[in-house]
Amino acid sequence: MTEPSAVPADPTNTDAAELTVDDLTVRFEGLAAISGVSLTVERHEVFGLIGPNGAGKTTLVNCLTGFQAPTGGRVLVGRESTVGWSPMQFREMGVARTFQAGRLFKDMSVLENVEVTAVGLGLGRRRAVERGRAILDWVGLAGKTSLRAGALAYTDQRRLAIARAMVLPPAFVLLDEPAAGMSDAECEGLMVLVSSIPRTFVCGVLLIEHNMRVVMGVSHRVHVLDGGKTLAEGTPAEIQRDQAVLAAYLGVEG
Amino acid sequence: MHVFVARHQTPVLLIVLLGAAVAISEVGGLDALQVTLVEMLIRVLVVVGLYVFIGNSGVISFGQVGFMCIGAYAAGWATAEPSFKQVMLQGLPELLQENQFSFPLAMAGAILLPAIVALLFGFAILRLNGIAASIATFAFLIIVNSIYSNWDSVTAGVSSLIGIPTPVGPWVALAFAAGGILVAHLFQMSRYGLLLRATREDGVAAKASGVHSVRMRLLAFVLSAALVGAGGGLYAQFLGILTVDTFYLSLSFITIAMLVVGGMGSLTGAVAGVIAVTVIVQLLRFGERGFPVGSALFKLPVGSGELGLGLLLALILIFRPNGLSGGKELALIRGPREMMPEGGAVAGARALQDDSNAVA
Ligand SMILES: Nc1ncnc2c1ncn2[C@@H]1O[C@H](COP(=O)(O)OP(=O)(O)O)[C@@H](O)[C@H]1O
Ligand SMILES: [Mg+2]
Repeated sequence: MTEPSAVPADPTNTDAAELTVDDLTVRFEGLAAISGVSLTVERHEVFGLIGPNGAGKTTLVNCLTGFQAPTGGRVLVGRESTVGWSPMQFREMGVARTFQAGRLFKDMSVLENVEVTAVGLGLGRRRAVERGRAILDWVGLAGKTSLRAGALAYTDQRRLAIARAMVLPPAFVLLDEPAAGMSDAECEGLMVLVSSIPRTFVCGVLLIEHNMRVVMGVSHRVHVLDGGKTLAEGTPAEIQRDQAVLAAYLGVEG
Repeated sequence: MHVFVARHQTPVLLIVLLGAAVAISEVGGLDALQVTLVEMLIRVLVVVGLYVFIGNSGVISFGQVGFMCIGAYAAGWATAEPSFKQVMLQGLPELLQENQFSFPLAMAGAILLPAIVALLFGFAILRLNGIAASIATFAFLIIVNSIYSNWDSVTAGVSSLIGIPTPVGPWVALAFAAGGILVAHLFQMSRYGLLLRATREDGVAAKASGVHSVRMRLLAFVLSAALVGAGGGLYAQFLGILTVDTFYLSLSFITIAMLVVGGMGSLTGAVAGVIAVTVIVQLLRFGERGFPVGSALFKLPVGSGELGLGLLLALILIFRPNGLSGGKELALIRGPREMMPEGGAVAGARALQDDSNAVA
């Protein structure tokens, strides 16, 4: 896989330099899924978020994209408070995401999948198709634009999900386990793609991933959650040496 | 040019098909078929109207026939004999009581009034998730029926509204069916159609793509009500007499059955369903009346029509859940696929699923 070709970036609706979670708490019927987590994703970095299943990673992403209202604490886009924002507002303000479960528009074509985001954000059809083709080219799906999304191979579905989030380049993109189920070779390609996002699009990446080679390979900083609480945060090298992390998480994962 | 033809061939083919049916019956002097034919064309308009909302949004509505009722009465109020209205419909505004309006004005009323009601009602219910919204539409049908059955001074209650001129014949009905097909086609090709189908495929992902689902649904709901309402207006001016119960459960059932039989994933399916069900119901009626086979009289038991339709529906749901069309559009020329109207083959199945609250 070669370095992805450059896609000229459209300006986003925000000049926010960071995406911030401040003392966030989420409770489901009394059970805390997240307790007192604070972190900041910078616009020029890949920020890794790891932790065992049920640690609260997806819940955190839901809070950062308007799908889950925090029980306590704040979510800020730049300096702006996001209280009461709908998921649409988050996307309009430049916070995009993918889903752990994929959630493609399966019966629509590959091109239509990305076109939806572009049109949904206000582009005309012609421009939307243009942008859509460019972004599909970037993820390596140029030859498959007219296929049914549901008919794509698993890896290609993962790539399409990223393209759909990136079609009008956001300021931040939150990738929820994009490499789940990929082979090592496929992971390589994905790593190249993900690590090129901050430079190509001036877009910060929050990357949730279980594959340690991927997270440690592309992240500038890594945040570790366990049982809804922050366990550690630091550079990949620091995290790999952290005793608490080794005991609670990496040890288990092997 | 080629792309343009490929993009827009489906509605043209469907209209040509229906036009051919009308032309054959006119030239062949098949007067016995005329009533069936006009009813079929009106139902094409109604079912295409259903498709605009149900097919594209994936939300089943049992209530669209309520808009047909509203449209039919709007046309009736506009065109019925003033002498009848002044005696029987004293609750109507004087302007309506004393005048008899033209067919175009009556149709405008039959389109606008349902659209306005749909805007208000849709605004209230379309933020509900799939199944809850469906049940609310059913409630709407019941509400419309009970208002129109009981508001005697405006609707003549359970007695009939009579004295409506009947300018609607096969060609007029064809023109409106064709208009409905074109509108539905243009809608599904439009940016709004694209966004609405995305909400049908995955409501959560659509939100993350910046799609305002409620607005898209509302737009389709209003457009659907306008088309179905026009169907009601035509029906009133075809029969010349209106009764509230015409527009109730059995018509709601039969029109939804038509959409399911044809396949709610495509415009072709909506039209094919009307044709297929009309033909089958006619054959069964014919059988109920009986026909000679040699020296014996072959006769199906009374009630075979409804039974046959029910069976057909069950068989289609079991063996061809995406309907006769399978979610595909009628096409002679193949264009680049992304240029083709995209049929949602599993819209039917998806319509029955709830929007999941868990976002993963
Ligand atoms: N909508 C919800 N209702 C109730 N509990 C939930 C909901 N979403 C997540 N949870 C719970 O919150 C915890 C964190 O889940 P999640 O954020 O999905 O973890 P991760 O993505 O790290 O695997 C889990 O215990 C999960 O069962
Ligand atoms: Mg998760």
